[in-house]
Amino acid sequence: MGISYPPTGMTSASFALRYWERRQEVAANNLANVSTDGFKGERAFARLVEGALPEIGAATDLRTGPLTPTESPLDLALAGDGFFVVQTPAGERYTRGGALRFDDQHRLVDGGGNPLLGEDGAIVALPGELVPEQTDPGMPAATGGAGNALLQIDRTGRVQLAGRTVAQLRVERLAPGAQVTHASHNLFVPPAEGRLNVALEEREVRQGMLEGSNVSSVSSLVDMISIQRAYASVQKAVTTLDGIRGVLTNEIGKPS
Amino acid sequence: MDPALRTAATGMIAQQTRTEVISNNLANVNTTGFKRSRAHFEDLLYQTVQGAAIVGQPDMNATPPIQIGRGVRLASVQRLHQQGPIEQTERPLDLAIEGEGFFQVQLPNGQVGYTRDGTFQLSDEGTLVTQQGFTVVPGIQVPQDATQVTISRTGTVSIERGAGGVASEVGRLELARFANPAGLMSMGENIYTATSASGEPVLGFAEEDNMGRIVQGYLEGSNVEIVQEMVDMITSLRAYEINSKAVKNSEEMSQIANNMVR
Repeated sequence: MGISYPPTGMTSASFALRYWERRQEVAANNLANVSTDGFKGERAFARLVEGALPEIGAATDLRTGPLTPTESPLDLALAGDGFFVVQTPAGERYTRGGALRFDDQHRLVDGGGNPLLGEDGAIVALPGELVPEQTDPGMPAATGGAGNALLQIDRTGRVQLAGRTVAQLRVERLAPGAQVTHASHNLFVPPAEGRLNVALEEREVRQGMLEGSNVSSVSSLVDMISIQRAYASVQKAVTTLDGIRGVLTNEIGKPS
Repeated sequence: MDPALRTAATGMIAQQTRTEVISNNLANVNTTGFKRSRAHFEDLLYQTVQGAAIVGQPDMNATPPIQIGRGVRLASVQRLHQQGPIEQTERPLDLAIEGEGFFQVQLPNGQVGYTRDGTFQLSDEGTLVTQQGFTVVPGIQVPQDATQVTISRTGTVSIERGAGGVASEVGRLELARFANPAGLMSMGENIYTATSASGEPVLGFAEEDNMGRIVQGYLEGSNVEIVQEMVDMITSLRAYEINSKAVKNSEEMSQIANNMVR
């Protein structure tokens, strides 16, 4: 958007009003996603244009959300930093995990049906592995009905099905300075450069856990209150500036 | 302020849906063979907002664009097929499956349904049927003069005629199993049908192919845990409340904006 230069008090005030409105939109989106698995909140802040005009800036808060045990072998989370990689029609995307399933082609996919990628591509189960032979006839599978009781994923992301090592999951992290952007559907667009493979011993993959949203509802609520107060103050500044102009035009400029 | 208002409204709708799922779980806390569900959400589309640039000042850097999210939506409601508690009933035609299999029932429309609810009975013709009167596959006939029906762990149905009579086998229950039971479609009445997501049923007998074993005189209870659902309900209610505060806040900000013009 183009603005006149140098900025007047009114321009500053209008920028400030818009800035606080944007802040409110970001806070509302964070709060709306307070129960979205693997959601990463946005932190909004002001950048000053020309030393006087506040313009919104934002960064994604990549801190790990709370991990909840679910007992479902198809729930996957990362306890540390980093992302899993999924293949979407638009290219590779990052995800923090979530409720997985096997699709009709026996591929391990995320909630949106995008295949989770291992080092050799999509993770495909052999038809027999989802209906494994019973090894001990006296002991039916204890997890009962989960359908994929024999899926095991260890901390380094090694996927085993019925004892066969199927794949090693890809876990990547961002190089310093690199940033992800939101792609909705709980996915992130990886940066073009600055993708690092996380070493096996540093990985913290957790099977049977779900990562909750990292939005803190209390701090977002407090944020919202201060946003409203600041917005009201700027509005007062606008009315005051307007009052001064009113004096200028109506009192000083009055023909005597 | 309109976008923020709508974003907060999507948050309220999401929590409402979550409460509906939780209520249904709680309502079915005593339903035989019931499997609880869980709501999953995903973030909605993001709008890229371009930063400001100063006209006529080419050396001024424009501020980088930012992404503003537009709320949340329901991604899926996932059914969790974890084993429910096996409860003793002493009734000979109550069956529970300990393991992953499903009983198959012949639905009136010709389809085959799948159920974990083993509350069976005999029809007027002596056929083993479900509570709704659907025949249990493969259609086991129990003669009128049978005095005792025994169903083994492997699903073999045998009867005895008269006191201390010789047991004779009348059939064997066939079970089905799915690669992805979460993809089954619920038809109500504790019955599911296969979909492309669940995959084709794999047929077999109890104690074979990881189907699990059949336990006579027991029923599988609901796998809903009341405490867990209550905790979820409280969280959901609070999240709903907090989103309503966002609606209120956005509304008040529009009011402030309107007060600028006197």
